Amino acid sequence: MRNILAIARRELSAYFATPVGWLALSAFLLITGFFFAALVSLYSMQSAEQAFSPYGAPDMNLNEYLVAPFFGNTAIILLFIVPALTMRLFAEDRKTRALELLLTSPITTTEIVLGKFVGAMGFIAVMLACTLHYVGVLFYLGDPDVGVVASSYLAMFLLSGAFVSVGLVTSSFTENQVVSLVLGFGMLLLLWVLGWAESASTGLTAEVLGFASLINRMEDLTKGLIHTRDVAYYLSFISFFLFATHQRVEAFRWS
Amino acid sequence: MIRVEHLTKRYGATTAIEDVSFEVPKGQVVGFLGPNGAGKSTTMRILTGSLGATEGRATVDGRDVFTDAREVKRRIGYLPEVPPLYPNMVVRDYVAFAGQLKGVKDPVAAAERAIARVGLAQVGHRIIEHLSKGYRQRVGLAQALVHDPEVLILDEPNSGLDPAQRVEIRDLLHDLVEDKRTIILSTHVLADIEAICRRVIIINKGRIVAEDDIERLGGEQRTVTVAVARPGDAAIAAMRAVEGVSAVVDEGEGRLRLTTDGDRREHVANAAAPFGLLELSGRARLEEIYLRLTMGATP
Repeated sequence: MRNILAIARRELSAYFATPVGWLALSAFLLITGFFFAALVSLYSMQSAEQAFSPYGAPDMNLNEYLVAPFFGNTAIILLFIVPALTMRLFAEDRKTRALELLLTSPITTTEIVLGKFVGAMGFIAVMLACTLHYVGVLFYLGDPDVGVVASSYLAMFLLSGAFVSVGLVTSSFTENQVVSLVLGFGMLLLLWVLGWAESASTGLTAEVLGFASLINRMEDLTKGLIHTRDVAYYLSFISFFLFATHQRVEAFRWS
Repeated sequence: MIRVEHLTKRYGATTAIEDVSFEVPKGQVVGFLGPNGAGKSTTMRILTGSLGATEGRATVDGRDVFTDAREVKRRIGYLPEVPPLYPNMVVRDYVAFAGQLKGVKDPVAAAERAIARVGLAQVGHRIIEHLSKGYRQRVGLAQALVHDPEVLILDEPNSGLDPAQRVEIRDLLHDLVEDKRTIILSTHVLADIEAICRRVIIINKGRIVAEDDIERLGGEQRTVTVAVARPGDAAIAAMRAVEGVSAVVDEGEGRLRLTTDGDRREHVANAAAPFGLLELSGRARLEEIYLRLTMGATP
């Protein structure tokens, strides 16, 4: 555990030591801020229209009309930003030969992989924590469901974990960070659109595509419904790609 | 302390090292020599646990480098040919991080000691990528020393350095030798090996071709080259007549290469004087042996 935290701390501080981390954080906050402002203004406009509707004023659910779309958009932003955060995790270490320090230290490959994973997740936790003030505004002005907000954050964290695990494995296959970025983003996009392909398919194919899709698993979570199967799906997904990264790093000892 | 037995490493059809065996007793400083691609780095990487072997066994302090890798790594400090640095880190933080990974109890204090040991105290607060190559090499050395290892494995610590930086690193290596650690030092600077090591292991094309004390290595045979103003059969015959000269080769343009038994330069100079001695040179002993063993014959 001590070694995992040492590596994680180094990775986390590396994000703040380079422009990449600050740029990613700024871009994330700028875009989520834009979406939040747009959604709030749309929500207030629609509520006003509903209030003056001759057919009565049905209750516009804040969770459904604002919280869920906000986190839906945040997920898409993460899809673009996380590969930029994970591209350097192994690629840079291989290029600078710093990986040799890790491989010749009395630590296990599992500790190396988990350390890098935890470090990247730490930065994403900082990014997500920076969006808490948006939620604070909602609580100040309205009455969102705490459970929905909490499970939405859980969804973002699990989804980010899945993105980071894919980014880790793609980063371990190359010394070139741009290649790592393109590979990571390509893989994530493919897993993302599986959900769309599901609607164009039928039978078993549709079921398999629906099961594998990263996006489908998130929908219930952003509605405040935490199913064990969804959490288990993300945890299994993360474990699979972390295992693949572990095997790849082990293979460095034979190449 | 270090025992390597029949170590072989193959990459597909390519054999990097084959049947490599040697021993380094505790506290000995050994020079590891060989041309580029001979298998030096491969052997060192296997010993440090960053590379697996196809066949064979290696132990450090009686512990197997493959099955007891963690314990072995605790005992080894390794400086690869390219120092394993994080360029964006501050020197002090980097060395402390290396200390943490190596299981040091107080990594910050250990880092300070290692930094002072390699003469980096005045740049401890600086970012690694802003340092000169010589200083970066020192940071790499501090990383290797931070856990006070019993064994140091240094892979070309002075490669790519300018002459002044080379002297600095050589002086540093001199100091490290005094610590009574077991050291395997690989370098192409044979003068450094002669100055620092008592024993050498020479590897060529993946195989050990010599392993002995420098004094005993290659017997007494040496090479002397003379250039005379008036070459010819008489000059060659005069050279052959010198005591201890076993062979004379006419290289043309008045240059004769002599193989001698022991240091016969004075006698050769006296014999060459009547023919107009222009130049006489005897290669450094280790260089001569190295070239003979790695190039097949003395060029």
